[in-house]
Amino acid sequence: MAENDLRTTHAPPEDVASTPPLLSMRGIRKSFSGVEVLHGVDLTLYSGEVLALLGENGAGKSTLIKILNGDYTRDAGEIFLAGNPVSLKSPRDAERLGIRVIYQELNYAPDLSVAENVLLGHLPHRRGPLGRFMVDWSEAFRRAERILASLNAHVDLRQPLRQLSVGKQQTVEIAKALSGQARILVMDEPTAALTPHEVTLLFETIARLRAQGVAIIYISHRLDEVERIAQRITVLRDGNVVGTVPISEVKRRDIVRMMIGRDLPTIDPRRHAVQGATALEVSHLSRPGAFTDVSFTLREGEIIGLFGLLGAGHAELIRAIFADEPATSGEIKIYGQAVHASSPRAVKRLRVGFVPEDRKVDGLILDMSVAENITLANWRNLSHYGVLQRRQERSRALHWMEHLSIRTTRGIQQEVRTLSGGNQQKTILARWLEHGTRLLLLCEPTRGVDIGARADIYATLEELREQGMALLLVSSDMDEILLMSDRVLVFARGRLVAEFDSSRANQELLLSAAAGGDA
Amino acid sequence: MISDHTEQKQESQKTGPVRRNGLRFDWQEALGLLGIYVILIVALSILSPYFLSVNNFLNILVAISVIGIMSVATTMVIVSGGIDLSIGSVVAIAGVIVSSLSLAVPMPLAILAALGIGIVVGCLNGLAVTRFNINPLIATLGMLSIVRGFAFVLSGGLTRDIFDEGFGFLGRGYLLGIPFQVIVMAILFLLAAWVMRQTTFGRSIYAIGGNAQAARLAGLPVRRLQMTVYILSGLSAAIGGVFLASQLSAGAPAAATGIELSVIAAVILGGSSLNGGKGTIWGTLLGVLILGTLNNGLTLLNVSSYYQDVARGVVLLLAVGLDQLRLRLIRRP
Repeated sequence: MAENDLRTTHAPPEDVASTPPLLSMRGIRKSFSGVEVLHGVDLTLYSGEVLALLGENGAGKSTLIKILNGDYTRDAGEIFLAGNPVSLKSPRDAERLGIRVIYQELNYAPDLSVAENVLLGHLPHRRGPLGRFMVDWSEAFRRAERILASLNAHVDLRQPLRQLSVGKQQTVEIAKALSGQARILVMDEPTAALTPHEVTLLFETIARLRAQGVAIIYISHRLDEVERIAQRITVLRDGNVVGTVPISEVKRRDIVRMMIGRDLPTIDPRRHAVQGATALEVSHLSRPGAFTDVSFTLREGEIIGLFGLLGAGHAELIRAIFADEPATSGEIKIYGQAVHASSPRAVKRLRVGFVPEDRKVDGLILDMSVAENITLANWRNLSHYGVLQRRQERSRALHWMEHLSIRTTRGIQQEVRTLSGGNQQKTILARWLEHGTRLLLLCEPTRGVDIGARADIYATLEELREQGMALLLVSSDMDEILLMSDRVLVFARGRLVAEFDSSRANQELLLSAAAGGDA
Repeated sequence: MISDHTEQKQESQKTGPVRRNGLRFDWQEALGLLGIYVILIVALSILSPYFLSVNNFLNILVAISVIGIMSVATTMVIVSGGIDLSIGSVVAIAGVIVSSLSLAVPMPLAILAALGIGIVVGCLNGLAVTRFNINPLIATLGMLSIVRGFAFVLSGGLTRDIFDEGFGFLGRGYLLGIPFQVIVMAILFLLAAWVMRQTTFGRSIYAIGGNAQAARLAGLPVRRLQMTVYILSGLSAAIGGVFLASQLSAGAPAAATGIELSVIAAVILGGSSLNGGKGTIWGTLLGVLILGTLNNGLTLLNVSSYYQDVARGVVLLLAVGLDQLRLRLIRRP
């Protein structure tokens, strides 16, 4: 790690300078089936700081966190909590020591009330001989209220959790962690499902927690967020710590280089490419409760970005175009042909492809091979009287894997479940290219995808655009929308409220337009 | 394009098995079952002097043929993510129809009518599941009751004998020294294994069982496939019913009560997942063979039939439990 000698520092952030670290992990090693994935990792965490833990998928972040949470036991190394060595053998140990992990998939009882969720596993009981079988509800509500108040969260304690927005649910999850007296909070991609407004609220919550002395390990692929809230970063690569530095001392370029070990190629989309015929024409499209009277046109060789806050209707619109939940009125024309499709199958026939928001739920057959997932939408052309032509299937799959650099360890027969997020996403992209798609609808194509694969996906989309494909892109990542789109359509409350030429748009413009509908 | 070699390294540790997903007979997947079967055969050969003979093996095959015939389509249903509990009732009503109609119309017509009933019941199951979105367990449980009821209504609750020389051949005849129904079962297994591996229909069944929503968004005709699978299930149950009626020379409204559970048990034992998306025809064959062989062996050993039920349950739990354990060891990250 000589290259990073200057950077590697265990100096605490200025504001907590002289205090000893709250958590110190030293020389952590871990192997699975004889292969070492952590090669002696050090990590220090001080009270009241946000430490961003960065690295590409597979760098060892989640293994390290699972060791901290007691899910895995370390093969070597020591863990000190406030200077005392601790052994972490189970998540219960971790919880007792005040270490809580909030995973991407929130983990709660959706039909129980907010108060019960906050106190899950710690519900207070009454006194007396039979008291411990009876919940002390007034005490429970008092406690839950106190914790939520400390987070400045205004939530109805009696409401079932299911009825809250994702952002509020996450607040409850944090409150739940605090009810167990958490001193160390690990957040794994906490903003993945949040709207920009909810992200701001979350960051306020994090600031409040810091003030209370809680230490936070923050895992995210979004460097802009990391720059907003972290004081220090620790970067992992291939199971080693590349460096630990105060965020104020590095630029984003440096962080990326630390993460992937090289510079990213810059993507410079060729703006105002020659645009061809009208690929998609949407006029007065409505579906009650989702979107109202939306009209726009998309041409060949153009990427239109759809932006809006959660529930603004743009995500519903793109699904309606693919007839997942069809619109109830209005007209869709695809390449001049009016479409009255009632199923995705019918729209697909018009050479339209759809990359869904949640690839594991809506996109992939996780138990099937990469090859089968790639060819899934094109079996008709790869079969002869209903019999699959295995050789053809194989060669098509190989073609796309090479073209989109989909990485597998066991070739095309590997279960797609075992691939990283980026490679899974490329697999879905390959499916629609194999299908011969000329109009591609994309929802959050790079969510949970690491930086390297994200650059691959952007390059592919750009290449497709240049080849004359028409692309419609829904993304909550404003950088992505602004980088990739020719035009951005902003939605609020189900209506198309603004249109920007993306060369003239910026984040503030998009956000204020998107929030405008709420006023 | 950019190479992300770091991802590659991590994946090699995830030790995900290369699942062929029925593409090829996966020896690793089936090794556990095959092991159990071999142990069973060796143990029974030692315990009983009558067990190890060609004749006894043919006995086993005859005994499992009805369940075997039904298990082929049941595998498809389960792989597609569904379940069909009505098949036992279809067996009964098929027998009742053959026996009732055999006096009035030519035998082939009676058989066709029985098969037609199977298709109708399959259609109704499919409609309930695909159009009315009724959970398949509940839909086919309802159909189990309805069809069984009609079997009693049609027969007046009586078991009726079938007097037709030719008909007896189906369930008791031999072709080249092999029982005819065993040949039918073998052909169905071969055909289904090929369909499940090599055709888009078969692969689509795996796809909709693995993730119906993703399959729909990839443009697969999910409802039509589910419909087809339930129709095949009803049809194969009716075929089973015809063979059973031939074996018994009678149509009995109370026949094959609970047989659906034996069939499902064999399919699950064979490695199919009730969650759908996983399972092979060859696995099912092994499951059927193991349960059939166990029955046969225990009978030879004069074990009471009550204990045979216990043994069947224990084998099912042991096999599935061991399989889960093995998967957990392999999947360990």
